[in-house]
Amino acid sequence: MSFFRRLDLGRAILTAFVVAFFVFMTLPIGIVVVASFTDASFVAFPISGWSLRWFRRIFEYQPYLDSIAVSLQIAFGATALSCLIGIPAAIALARSPSAWASAVMTYLLSPLSMPMIVIGFAALFFLSRVGVGVSFTALLIAHTTVCLPYIVRTVAATYRGTARSYEEAAALLGANPLQVFWHVILPLIRPGIVAGSLFSFLVSFDNLPISYFFGQPGTLTLPVVMLSYMEHQFDPSIAALSTLQLLLAIVGLVIVDRLYGIDKMTMGD
Amino acid sequence: MKTSTFPTIPRRLLLTLPAVLFLLAFFILPLVDNGLRSIVQADGNGITFARYVQLLTDQFYLTSIAQTIALSAAVTVICVLIGYPVAYYLVRHAGRWSGLIIFLLIAPLLTSIIMRTYGWQVLFARRGFINTLLVQDLGLLDTPLRVLDTPGLVVAAFVHVLVPFMVLSIAAVLQGIDRRLEESAQLLGAGRLRTFFEVTLPLSIDGIGTGSILVFMVANGSFVTLVLLGGGLKTLPLLIFQQFNTTRDFGMASTMSTVLLVVALVCLFLQLRLVRRGGEA
Repeated sequence: MSFFRRLDLGRAILTAFVVAFFVFMTLPIGIVVVASFTDASFVAFPISGWSLRWFRRIFEYQPYLDSIAVSLQIAFGATALSCLIGIPAAIALARSPSAWASAVMTYLLSPLSMPMIVIGFAALFFLSRVGVGVSFTALLIAHTTVCLPYIVRTVAATYRGTARSYEEAAALLGANPLQVFWHVILPLIRPGIVAGSLFSFLVSFDNLPISYFFGQPGTLTLPVVMLSYMEHQFDPSIAALSTLQLLLAIVGLVIVDRLYGIDKMTMGD
Repeated sequence: MKTSTFPTIPRRLLLTLPAVLFLLAFFILPLVDNGLRSIVQADGNGITFARYVQLLTDQFYLTSIAQTIALSAAVTVICVLIGYPVAYYLVRHAGRWSGLIIFLLIAPLLTSIIMRTYGWQVLFARRGFINTLLVQDLGLLDTPLRVLDTPGLVVAAFVHVLVPFMVLSIAAVLQGIDRRLEESAQLLGAGRLRTFFEVTLPLSIDGIGTGSILVFMVANGSFVTLVLLGGGLKTLPLLIFQQFNTTRDFGMASTMSTVLLVVALVCLFLQLRLVRRGGEA
């Protein structure tokens, strides 16, 4: 019945606009994926031939490998640390109606709203002054400040969405608070923990503004190495590395989505 | 229910404390320390506001502040203009496509900032995708477009990263609008355009507000795009980056950081007020 209404002009223009919008959104990303399979030693169009040589180059260039190891350790470490201190806080604050709890929540989420370059710059000087210096530990701490909000936010949103009655039933049946947490709350909020951890991991792995300030051998993360590589060379290994990174992020997202449904979590609050 | 009132307050405090203290030690204190560095004299003795005076009177810094605000404002306005129709389509017309649209919106957030800026370079280089297409394949142009290193490309790159936040903010509010209000307006004789401008748009103004503050806030602090795409803009974050790298004038860099921080705090405050108003409505 709505066939003729569907053909109206306004709707057609709007649809065309949305299509153009997604071309704009995907073009700069898609082009890098295409460029990563070139066999030329610089990116130029049309692509002269296809090869995987730039993917091999990733595994031959030692600074890439070293920095990937650093980035993985930092991203895992900062996510784990954020879970350790963030999950209890999220649970304690999520359901409280008091103004004070919501103030503390705002405080815990506030690093999200501060310019990263300011956080990185300030952390570098402060951590040097208190003796942590430019080190792996310092970088781990700085990353944790920006990862923590992602854990707190997703876990709190998930916990808010679960029914209180499960915990009450467990408590009535004689479970102590620790048992309630372990056997009831934790399984209920696991989707939030997994999704929050994925975001936190990706945010840390991709972070440049903070990591940049901790640029010393041993603390060079992948984005920092890629940035300095790009300043001197324009070869497609950057494209190959980016493509690989995107692939891993999509795989992560799909897994989390299959397990728990990502739209529930992102649109949750 | 025995465990109510008395023990819950200390337990709640205990559970929150590690996170609260962690941020106090490694987020708040560094920022305070940074603020102090901006007002301590170069020799370490006494307090001076000379750097702030310099920042607000020196033509070089004033230009930088103006460029920072202009860039963020331009990006925000463009995000609203582009993001609103997309959000509207997502909520009203997408139907079974909405999953795909949300995925396409979130996908860029999964890419690294390096990948996105590299993508713009590859697209617009002299022998990049666009120029090859326009000059060689289609023959529309005689000479390649010079897009790299222009402020326009920087704005496009910023919009590209930030517009998903705008779309999601507006879509969230549009979703909550009672369709009957629009239907009533049309029954009373308003055309579709008039219904949109007098009913839908005013009702979704909070979504535009939330999205705008978010976009403005993030745009204000970004510098990686500017480092890689140039464009001749010298915004505050870029100057902080350069001052750290080359000039090593840490006092001045702290002063600029503190100004950026204050702007971010104002944005955060406005955001909270909007959210609260939304919650009560």
